[in-house]
Amino acid sequence: MKQIRLMVNGESHELSVPPWRTLLEVIREDLGLTGTKEGCSLGECGACTVIMDGRAVNSCLVLAAEADNKQITTIEGLAGSRGKLHPIQQAFVEHGGLQCGFCTPGMIMSAKALLDKTPTPTKEEIRRGIAGNLCRCTGYTKIIESIKAAAGNTEEK
Amino acid sequence: MRGAFGKRITPQGVSEVITFYRRLPKFDYLAPKTIGEALSLLSQYKGKAKVIAGGTDVIPKLRRRETKTPDYIIDLKGIPDWDYIEYNEDSGLNLGALATIHDVETSPIIRGKFSVLSQAAESMASPQVRNRGTIAGNICNAVPSSDTAPALLTLEAKLKLVSQRGERTVNIEDFFTGPNKTVLTDEELLQEIQVPNLPPYSNGIYLKLSPRRSMDLAIVGIAVVVISDDGVCKDIRIGLGAVAPTPIRAKRAEDIIRGQKFSDTVIERAAEIAASESHPIDDHRASAEYRKEMVKTLTRRAINQAISSF
Amino acid sequence: MAEFSVIGERLPRVDAREKVTGEAKYAADYSLPNMLWCKLLRSPYPHARILSIDTSKAERLPGVKAAVTAKDFGGWTWGWMPATRDEPPLAVDKVRYMAEAVAGVAAIDEDTAEEACQLIRVDYEELPGIFEPEEAMRESAPKVHDYVKNNISVEYHWNFGDVEKAFAESYIVREDRFRTSRATHGYLEPPAILAYYDPTGYITVWASKQSPYFHYRHLAACFKLPLSKVRVIQPFIGGGFGGTKNDSLAGDFCAVLLSKISGKPVKYVESMEEELVTSRRRHSMIVYSKMGAKKDGTLTAIHHQVVADGGGYTAVGPLSLYLAGFATTLPYRLPNFKYDAYRVFTNNPIGAAMRGHGITHTRFAAEIQMGMIAEELGIDPVEVRMRNAIDNPKPGTIYETINKVTLKTCGLKEAIQKVTEDPIWRDRNKTPRKEGSIFWGVGLSGTSYLGGARQMGHQSCAAIIRVCEDGTVNLITGATDCGQGSDTVLCMIAAEELGIKLEDVNIKRVDTAYTPVDPGSYGSRVTILAGQATQKAAREAKRQLLEAAAKTWQVKPEDVEIRERKVFITSDPERSMPFDKLARIACYSGTGAVILGTGYSSYGLEPLDLTNGIGNGGTSYSFTAQSARVGVDMETGKITVTDFTIASDCGRLLSPIQAEGQIEGASVQGMGQTIYEDFIVDRGKTLNPTLLDYKMPHSTDIPNIKLIDIVTNDPDGPFGAKETSEGSIVSTPPAVVSAIHDATGIWFKELPITPEKVVKALKEKL
Repeated sequence: MKQIRLMVNGESHELSVPPWRTLLEVIREDLGLTGTKEGCSLGECGACTVIMDGRAVNSCLVLAAEADNKQITTIEGLAGSRGKLHPIQQAFVEHGGLQCGFCTPGMIMSAKALLDKTPTPTKEEIRRGIAGNLCRCTGYTKIIESIKAAAGNTEEK
Repeated sequence: MRGAFGKRITPQGVSEVITFYRRLPKFDYLAPKTIGEALSLLSQYKGKAKVIAGGTDVIPKLRRRETKTPDYIIDLKGIPDWDYIEYNEDSGLNLGALATIHDVETSPIIRGKFSVLSQAAESMASPQVRNRGTIAGNICNAVPSSDTAPALLTLEAKLKLVSQRGERTVNIEDFFTGPNKTVLTDEELLQEIQVPNLPPYSNGIYLKLSPRRSMDLAIVGIAVVVISDDGVCKDIRIGLGAVAPTPIRAKRAEDIIRGQKFSDTVIERAAEIAASESHPIDDHRASAEYRKEMVKTLTRRAINQAISSF
Repeated sequence: MAEFSVIGERLPRVDAREKVTGEAKYAADYSLPNMLWCKLLRSPYPHARILSIDTSKAERLPGVKAAVTAKDFGGWTWGWMPATRDEPPLAVDKVRYMAEAVAGVAAIDEDTAEEACQLIRVDYEELPGIFEPEEAMRESAPKVHDYVKNNISVEYHWNFGDVEKAFAESYIVREDRFRTSRATHGYLEPPAILAYYDPTGYITVWASKQSPYFHYRHLAACFKLPLSKVRVIQPFIGGGFGGTKNDSLAGDFCAVLLSKISGKPVKYVESMEEELVTSRRRHSMIVYSKMGAKKDGTLTAIHHQVVADGGGYTAVGPLSLYLAGFATTLPYRLPNFKYDAYRVFTNNPIGAAMRGHGITHTRFAAEIQMGMIAEELGIDPVEVRMRNAIDNPKPGTIYETINKVTLKTCGLKEAIQKVTEDPIWRDRNKTPRKEGSIFWGVGLSGTSYLGGARQMGHQSCAAIIRVCEDGTVNLITGATDCGQGSDTVLCMIAAEELGIKLEDVNIKRVDTAYTPVDPGSYGSRVTILAGQATQKAAREAKRQLLEAAAKTWQVKPEDVEIRERKVFITSDPERSMPFDKLARIACYSGTGAVILGTGYSSYGLEPLDLTNGIGNGGTSYSFTAQSARVGVDMETGKITVTDFTIASDCGRLLSPIQAEGQIEGASVQGMGQTIYEDFIVDRGKTLNPTLLDYKMPHSTDIPNIKLIDIVTNDPDGPFGAKETSEGSIVSTPPAVVSAIHDATGIWFKELPITPEKVVKALKEKL
């Protein structure tokens, strides 16, 4: 067993986990944060995307032990105090950037990572920024519109 | 053919997975703090350990039981200051083993002076995978369709390999020995990738052919670096990916064009010869015939694009 | 004043907040104390006899609590019809497709369960397999099932008019062979279940079921329990698209049985690869299409011979084959139609339903063939469609096809008109046709899809409206939102009928212990049928409220109106009260009343005629015209789709944001199946069982999508609604294929159109 410390959504957790556990499994099963989803388990769909030390990563490809002492943000960490939605979450709600919602947490985390680095992305930059997140329901159109709206960037580029 | 214990043993001796795994197999995890410590562990657990950097190749393989489960996973990321991208006028570009694909994609020095490599990095996988995967890991994983490999071949990179016994430097051309096989022993680590300076009036292009615009492995990957001297090809390197057991240089094609004035005829000839130097296979992604033809098409395009800026 | 106050408004979906915050729970997110994990052992052969299974070593592994094989299910099988109950929970005497499940174990954690599977010993005798449906029909082919002849799972022979005479009299007759790809749903959520068989003999499951009531019937039958003791609780569902989540799977039955044996809850979650290899997927169909036309392009007859790859079991196959035929007489007038169709067993994975069920295959063939005929006759693609398109019936009249499919609205002509007025089609010759090695092309399609589908047996659905004392409302129905947004639409319907706002209506997940039985979410039936039930339930509750208002104001109930939370007398609007006040009055009158409205759907209750293909397969039909612009790299064959313009006649869009999202999503799914997606199956083995190689579109692959809404206000749907979005998965493949033809001069008849196929075809053309 490995003793690790995960900083998730601003809270510190001391955990004892088998070395072969992934960060995704620990977030979902040990911390009960089921917002991050398991899709393909191979890093091909992006449903498990979290932000670790400022970068979007597939948590299914990160061993929990590798995440020791790292800052991790999951979908549950986005909304503000008293449940005020993050602007990206609000934009997805208003612009219909979700249907079944399964890809949504990972998609929003990728969007956040993108906007943190590129606050006013072009449509092409948005497409590339979420290229690692599969969505089968929306055809991406309203997702891109939602991210553009969240960026406050409404001109056609 | 009868199968015992619920497994099917094919003539190649590989057993088919007929339980679909969601969990990783069991292993122990070690996190050395120095290269020396890492090498010591590799020697100590010779043959029973696997190193992990980005994990984007190792973890999926372990999960699908495509590779023998090691007793120990050795995480190299605890070793500090190993993700450097350093450049100087004399020795050129040096990449530490932990430099990520994202670092390579976005490094101003690589984009400016060795752009064939940043183009290759940019074409890989997804943002999430590029954030974690390392260029060293990509090279050591040695898939025939690697994107960075043809680029590094055209940059004539050298690889510094290190073990407890000492170090050696290997030309990248001599590094790959077969699909997923390199000269790296199970006690060695790739410490540094060294890219010599390119002469002035050089330009590099990486072209990747795949059905979609993202996430695909290359059906064919072509890297070209040309060094021009007033319309004449002073030097050229052509790297081919996904069309041979390892990434290769198309040396006969290079010989045809080197020293010649750039013209449609000579470029076409070089492209044809590059195609003849490739030996792709048929697989579920594409046929050998198509791949060979695409080597010709993409080599021609890459050379034309590379010289178009002169 | 707008006609409606809620319907047609751009309102966010009712479950959006839960989904964007990660609060929404899907099946795999549920856990119970002392829960065990189930894992299945699957066959390495596509066709093999099972000689023996020995689970003893697995059962001795520490942490393993139970193991099951076919014998533990006592020979029970299930199927879509009584005659097709050919599928057991675990393979009995033989396996019929690669990775069919043969055993299940339950252990204290998933690692142990996975390890235990490796200790199960199965002795197989491999049998010759059969993998091509046309070959499978031959006398000499290996037999997949013994209860049918020549591996023919389903067979239909329908005949309307006289096609031979019509062909003989036609100016032009074409015969072409088409083939659709091996495509699958591709939802991101692998199926999962948490099952608990409690000591009192009551089953509770949380399962990712698009149609929970199928599953509840299966469980009751399998475990010999009354329906009232089977509880299927539906979590949020991560996409359905008509696939495996509309049926039951080995993991479901094993999880329940293992729970029964161990006395503990059991969880089963599929891996994505497991899902891609073993799931029900769209049939791959060969369509021999023969089409006749007059010199002016008017269609005279169609004869379709279809051979569908059914895979190892029947599943919903009879419906798939029916749907591939019955609507070929739409969306163009057709005086003669013959349909000879076979669904054939093979040792491939099971062919079943997927969005655009059945119609996708034959409409693709017919649409392309009509394009080929128009080209030969020198007739413009728009003209040939407008000449043949069914006209929008005048209000009060009905159009009937030769096989008695009836419709009351058809917006196809308007849709074609609008699409062709749009710049993508209109200006197609103004932009350069060639740019270096890229050739540009624009294509057009006109198609139709049914809504309000029905199956065999249970057709009707119900809704309950409960008005709380404070004027807020609970809507209770068995209709499932699998992500398509039906919960939102149903709440909007309720709000509109009651005269309140969307946020006043609350809906929860389906729970078969409380919600009324529902046929399920498929064939675009929920908005129409559950919508009608909701409308009726709301009207009934409203009637009770209006009675209370009438009593209070000493007027007749028909004198009172409710709109936007205000209750008022129509002729004297000053006499008003807020809705919540009326609710209180109604609920507290006398000794108190419970304001409850129930409603049932009554559309489309006629049974399907599978044998003769006569009559409707749905309650109404959507019509879609679509243009597509593509660029083809003539050297590499790579195809880039840059634009879609989609004009959809969906009757009326009740919830525009949701409807648009659905149409966009379906068109991208259709594009995927046209140029990227295909399972490469080599003698039963899937060579590309991962999302890397089963190539669904990513964000960087999508075109610009422009939507045009055609309103026809159909009388057979709540507020005029018809189905939405299955239309655009049907319209997209022919639009893209005809665009590729416009660019390259080649008509492709086999999907998907990969770059390599393009290069090969271009060479052959020379």
